[in-house]
Amino acid sequence: MAADKQTKLLAKQLFKLSLVDGAVSPDRVAGVLGWIEKHSPRHPLALLRLYHRFVAAELAKSRAVVEHAGPLADTALQLIEAAMTRKYRRAVSAVGRPSPGLLAGLRVRVGCDVYESSVARQLEVLSTSV
Amino acid sequence: MLSSLLILATAATEHGEEASGGITQLMRDFGISLPSLLAQILSFCIVAFILYRFGFKSIVETLDERQKTIADGLKHAEEMKVKLAAAQQESAAIIRQSQLDAQKLIDEARRTAKEFGDKQQAEALQRAADLLAKAQQAIELEHKKMLDEARGEIARLVVITTERVLAKKLTDADRSTYNDAATKELTVI
Repeated sequence: MAADKQTKLLAKQLFKLSLVDGAVSPDRVAGVLGWIEKHSPRHPLALLRLYHRFVAAELAKSRAVVEHAGPLADTALQLIEAAMTRKYRRAVSAVGRPSPGLLAGLRVRVGCDVYESSVARQLEVLSTSV
Repeated sequence: MLSSLLILATAATEHGEEASGGITQLMRDFGISLPSLLAQILSFCIVAFILYRFGFKSIVETLDERQKTIADGLKHAEEMKVKLAAAQQESAAIIRQSQLDAQKLIDEARRTAKEFGDKQQAEALQRAADLLAKAQQAIELEHKKMLDEARGEIARLVVITTERVLAKKLTDADRSTYNDAATKELTVI
């Protein structure tokens, strides 16, 4: 069921209530879910989907997924974590994920932002430019 | 008149008696009798007069009339002949002029046909040249497109081959080195 304007507004308000110092608080999220369960607002499924999307996007902003091919040192993860925290001015945690498709190099994804320095990307750029 | 003639005849007779013994003899020899001669002369005159009055005059008039008619006819024929000659000359002149005009039209038509033919030929040659140029352009475009496609395909194959080779040939040490370099690059963003 598509969410109407009121549902979207409510979802946004609930999301704002879930933040503590700009970060998603698990306690607050639990409280919001309990309230929804208790009060059963209009279009609960649409409301929950929207709320989930907001929370996931916010969590993604605080998480840097570092895709790498080959071994990656812990210091590299820490450096990347510090750089992203500096850039976004909020706490960002870096998580490593192996991705052999990169051949060599890294791809860092923070929310919708992607930073890449990999052999696969360079080859792709080369093939499109030719 | 008759009496006058008789009187003249008598007078003549009298005169004749005197000097015409020989004449009388002569007349007696030829059987000429004066009264009958006079009477014959008189008759002749009367007949001549009658003929002249009632015959000869009308005949002459008729003849004159016919002569006049014939003369008029001849004159009319002459006039017609002259007119015919003039008409023939005029028609000959018209025919000559028409022939000249027709010849002019024919020459004009020939000239126009030749010009049209030359123009059509030139246009056909131009169209053929345009078609050739377009075909040449199309061939060149096709060639260029083919080269571009070949280049793209070759590049794609090169990239795929490079990926496969790198995937097999790169060691962990190489990857680690590259990862460190990438880390340095990403931390300065």
